[in-house]
Amino acid sequence: MASNHSASSGEETRRHRAEGPQKHIVAFVMSLALTIIAFAAVAAGEINQTFTYIILVGMAILQVFVQMAFWMHMKDRGHLFPIFGILFGIVVVFTMVIMALYWVWW
Amino acid sequence: MSAHEHADGHLPHEPEKATLEGRNKVLGFWLFLGAETVLFGTLFAAFIALRHQTLDGPTADHLFELPMVFAATMILLFSSLTSVFAVQAMHRHQTKPMVLWLIVTILLGLCFLGLEIYEFNTYVSEGHQFSTSAFSSSFYTLVGFHGAHVAFGVLWIGLLIAQIFKKGLTVVTAPKIYVSAIYWHFIDVVWVFIFTVVYLMGKVG
Repeated sequence: MASNHSASSGEETRRHRAEGPQKHIVAFVMSLALTIIAFAAVAAGEINQTFTYIILVGMAILQVFVQMAFWMHMKDRGHLFPIFGILFGIVVVFTMVIMALYWVWW
Repeated sequence: MSAHEHADGHLPHEPEKATLEGRNKVLGFWLFLGAETVLFGTLFAAFIALRHQTLDGPTADHLFELPMVFAATMILLFSSLTSVFAVQAMHRHQTKPMVLWLIVTILLGLCFLGLEIYEFNTYVSEGHQFSTSAFSSSFYTLVGFHGAHVAFGVLWIGLLIAQIFKKGLTVVTAPKIYVSAIYWHFIDVVWVFIFTVVYLMGKVG
């Protein structure tokens, strides 16, 4: 911590300083583990195809939750509108992917 | 510090949220990311729908090599971590570590781009060109769009570093750093779906 801060500012900073690098390293290790599980499931190549798909999609969704919550600060206070914004995008995306698959495959 | 100091002469703890302009910038950027999600969603939809239409060209299983994809994934994951370190340094008002972490982020981004260029080059030499098949067109569009986002991010963060050198860390420059870090994480999140849907599922079949 910079020592040239006045007492009040130092106190203010300390009150907010709960955020250390630990939780980001935890998020990093979790992302790393989820990535390795996904790659290992494919590299092993002995697992049933449908089950591999389920593993892959599950790991991807988990990792996106971890990264959005910790690294994009979505679990912090005051992120209601950002969550609405991104959820709206996700709803449109799912509609679009399902539409495209239905259109092309059936 | 520069002329844009906070009213009491000190930067607040979270300088990116200290002004209404900064808060609006962050909110507006999230809405932009919602639109980006839709953009990538359309490209994913097209790719998933067309990924087996290989015509006479090489198939996904034939082309992709897992070690290279894994290396690219690790590079991007590390760069996401370094950019969150930059934001943490910003919250501690330590300009120098912040700039250093941003530079590391940029270098990792450049490594990723170099690997992607090498990868595309290999694919083209194996007869997988943009117009070879519906699979190849949708592949290059999706992955190339992501690569373009990385390239834009590298340029953007580079310019921000130059601005930090010129103006220092203020309540005006802090929201820009914060927003660029969110953008960089978003690129990493999109890559999670790319390595899952394009590469790993391509290997599975």
